[in-house]
Amino acid sequence: MSLAGLRSGIVTRGVRHFVTATAAIAIIAYLFAYSGADDSPTIHSDGYCYYLYLPSWAIYHDLSFDAMARDWFAGTYPEHIALRRWPSSGRWLNPCPIGTATLMAPFFVVGDLLSMWSNLPRDGLSLYYQYAAGFAGIAYLLAGLSILRRILQRHFSDGVTLATLVSITWGTNLFHYGVFDGTFSHIFSFFLVCLWILLVERWWEQPGWTRSVALGSVAALIVLVRHPNAMFVLVLPLYGVSRWRDVRGRIAELWRRRRWLIVAVLTALAGVIPQAVLYRLTTGAWFVNPYRELGGRFAFASPRLFDVLFSTQKGLFFWSPVLLLAVVGAVVAKGWTRGVATSAIVVFLVQLYLTASWSNWQFGGSFGHRAFTDGLGFAALLIAACFDWAASRPHIRRIVALYAATVVCLSVAQMLQYWTGNLPYSDTTWDQYRESFLRFR
Amino acid sequence: MNHRRMKWTAGTLALVAALAYLYDPPWLGGVTSGFFQWEYPPGEPVFRWTTGRASLFIPGNATTVMIPMRSLFPGPDGGPVTVRVSVDDRFLATITLTDPGAWVRDELPLGRRSTRRRHRRIDLRVNRVVRPRMVGVMTGPPTVW
Repeated sequence: MSLAGLRSGIVTRGVRHFVTATAAIAIIAYLFAYSGADDSPTIHSDGYCYYLYLPSWAIYHDLSFDAMARDWFAGTYPEHIALRRWPSSGRWLNPCPIGTATLMAPFFVVGDLLSMWSNLPRDGLSLYYQYAAGFAGIAYLLAGLSILRRILQRHFSDGVTLATLVSITWGTNLFHYGVFDGTFSHIFSFFLVCLWILLVERWWEQPGWTRSVALGSVAALIVLVRHPNAMFVLVLPLYGVSRWRDVRGRIAELWRRRRWLIVAVLTALAGVIPQAVLYRLTTGAWFVNPYRELGGRFAFASPRLFDVLFSTQKGLFFWSPVLLLAVVGAVVAKGWTRGVATSAIVVFLVQLYLTASWSNWQFGGSFGHRAFTDGLGFAALLIAACFDWAASRPHIRRIVALYAATVVCLSVAQMLQYWTGNLPYSDTTWDQYRESFLRFR
Repeated sequence: MNHRRMKWTAGTLALVAALAYLYDPPWLGGVTSGFFQWEYPPGEPVFRWTTGRASLFIPGNATTVMIPMRSLFPGPDGGPVTVRVSVDDRFLATITLTDPGAWVRDELPLGRRSTRRRHRRIDLRVNRVVRPRMVGVMTGPPTVW
């Protein structure tokens, strides 16, 4: 076998086994992070709020969160848990919507049944519940990567697919949000956005009942996991648009498919009804700003665009420099990716503006900027476009490969620093960054 | 037996074996829920705080259990702090902590309740928590007879 043939075989096997290998690494990493007696629990911080629906509803049979507050906190949730009583009704409003808990539910049920079987306390937070929630994050990371691999394999070579999967998994905070902070909403959104890309592609190829219902269901879940992610719906009309003159044709095509579009929209609306009902029960209104009582607000006139993109605090490209390849990809993309690039850019710009305008633009403690983890599926397509473009240019290929390998290694090192407490959770200054650079005390 | 059926059989057997093991795992004695980390103040007894509820395991053949408790902070309206103790989901006793500074060491007979498991679960429910850490009561290492 020639050297090229051997390399090709290795790459093909790499693509085939990538998700399995990531699963093994993720499980080892999770156990490393959470199996010690002194470790903080898997369900923590924002993850607690996203998860809270499950024990509250399934164990305490209580939609109001009161029973759990009484049992654990003598009636009032602590300040660091983001639930607040809605002033007019006095009921607890959970600012984290129900989508993450919905996706976690199968894992929770297993944890609950095992807790009963092993005589562990059915308190919603004991050992098996923690593991169940942790493995849910890992499972959705793997499911998202699996879908992404499928999309990439359809449009790119095995070499480009493998390089992209490695870059997006370890060159960004994706792995971190699948494993270390797997109870936050981001990995669930990543999975749904990947599924959304796949379904949108299939729907434009050939719409039908099944695909339209699936599209509407995934759109609903995207909104239920994180409301601002409704912006990803824009991908549907923008899919395949790469020039202004495509817009008219796209509108006409949407009109021609209006029957299927209505099916998708009605399904999506039906899917978000439970959340609206919950808001209604809690606040008296069908739609609310769930962060109102936490003081969260937008300052649209003074967005922190530079900070969100480049600052040492949480700068997207500062902490995940591999994503600069996605910027290159957006410019050089051709063929199918060109048609996806427009929607990816539009969604990214909307997300950037919203994030930069939000009062807590750093999004609290996080590794890298977690607001953008949800859309990494799109970034992966653009990174693949960059690799594909570089593949046929030997000099550029070497530079891109060296750059990607370096920043992926840097990202992994920094992720481990973050896990071991050697990087600040937020508000990192340049001096702090320089002092702790690649230090594992 | 075809390959698919063999896989199903092997999977089912593995599941049954895992469930049989998890019915009464030997490591359960070290599992807790709702406790903070142990604290080792110099010259004072070792302790750990509970939250509003906490669970721990004791050996299944124990007939009496004693868990040292101290409230440190008074209960609602300056009254006593109460801790409801149950064993394997059955009510056992209510311990009343009237003096916040005093350690209470009530011995609680477990009666004739038998168990086929290696461990019994003890659940503690405290009637108040103290902010900002949301601590319930201080507890020492349990003693069993």
